[in-house]
Amino acid sequence: MALQDPRPGKWQLFRIWASIGLQSFGGGASTTFLIQRAFIEKHKWLTMQEFAQLWNLCILTPGINLVALTVLIGRKLGGAWGVAISLAGMLLPSALITCLLTAGFISIENLPAVQAILRGVIPATGGIMLLVGLNFAQPLIRKGYKEGVPYLLGSAIIVIACALVIILLKLSVILVILGAALLGALFFSPKPAAPLLEEGEGISHD
Amino acid sequence: MINPFIYFLIFLKASLFSTGGFSNLPSLHQDLIGSGWAVEADFGQSIAIGQISPGPNGLWVISMGYLTYGFMGASLALIAITIPALLVLVVSAGYARIEQRTWVQGAMQGVSLAVVGLLLTVVWTILRQPGVDWKGFLIAAGAFGLALSRKVNILIILALAGLVGFLLYR
Repeated sequence: MALQDPRPGKWQLFRIWASIGLQSFGGGASTTFLIQRAFIEKHKWLTMQEFAQLWNLCILTPGINLVALTVLIGRKLGGAWGVAISLAGMLLPSALITCLLTAGFISIENLPAVQAILRGVIPATGGIMLLVGLNFAQPLIRKGYKEGVPYLLGSAIIVIACALVIILLKLSVILVILGAALLGALFFSPKPAAPLLEEGEGISHD
Repeated sequence: MINPFIYFLIFLKASLFSTGGFSNLPSLHQDLIGSGWAVEADFGQSIAIGQISPGPNGLWVISMGYLTYGFMGASLALIAITIPALLVLVVSAGYARIEQRTWVQGAMQGVSLAVVGLLLTVVWTILRQPGVDWKGFLIAAGAFGLALSRKVNILIILALAGLVGFLLYR
């Protein structure tokens, strides 16, 4: 820590975040890598341990974890100004480019060639999204194995029930998440495990 | 006519009750299709554009905003995804007190499981987009396999899929 660079100025902080945002293609993994490289390895403003602690807080926060991480690192490096500048740097240039790409797309979307390309690209995003879901599931599956078969089975039932009630019953997503949180608090809280019941969604347990 | 205030609230609600960049999709899908402010095709297109744009994955909603409500929609969507992230300041203040409670850990576990379920509905929504047929399913399977190998960049996978689409459907 003794060798860390001097605290960044506002403009420098903006530039760092903007370059991270603009270089992030293909999602979270590359962004996380770029953040670690800039703030931990290059400027040494954070240690890996601090980074891990901040990341845990982001997982508990709703919304996009990487944006929450931007907020926390920004606060650490520059207080309220640091938060505002970091968010602006991370989001504004990338959002602007997203708008320009969308506008460009609207102007050519009726071309048959574009329609044909989209019919290939859209299902491919579906396949990639399946992998995103699998990545989210991985630590849960590992935990399930450790806790035993009923735990694993209960977990699988919650996942499938959540998907089904949204697709088939068109139940509000908010209710489903709250229901899953409730079931989790009832059955997954560490402590002597309660017998696992197979509960449907949306049943209130007051 | 789009009511900007309700439009914003729809995006904010979806973002507040999500974790990660895509789990806000099912809620947005329900509300925007329900209100008639978006059509089915907007979802596939905005996710595809979001994948080829820089920035965190969650910026696909900026494209969604732009497709449905122009620059105004994109700005409202940007604000809507920024506000929940600021809650991390509240979380970091209260975390030490709340993390000890076992029910919090259990509830978080439940939410994580729900997020996996939500992501399955995202896959479902995308694969039911207009224009996706059995050949599309094969493309989806191929893209999944390539992404799973972790050897091929996402942008290259999407470019390949675009090429296949061009050759199959032009």
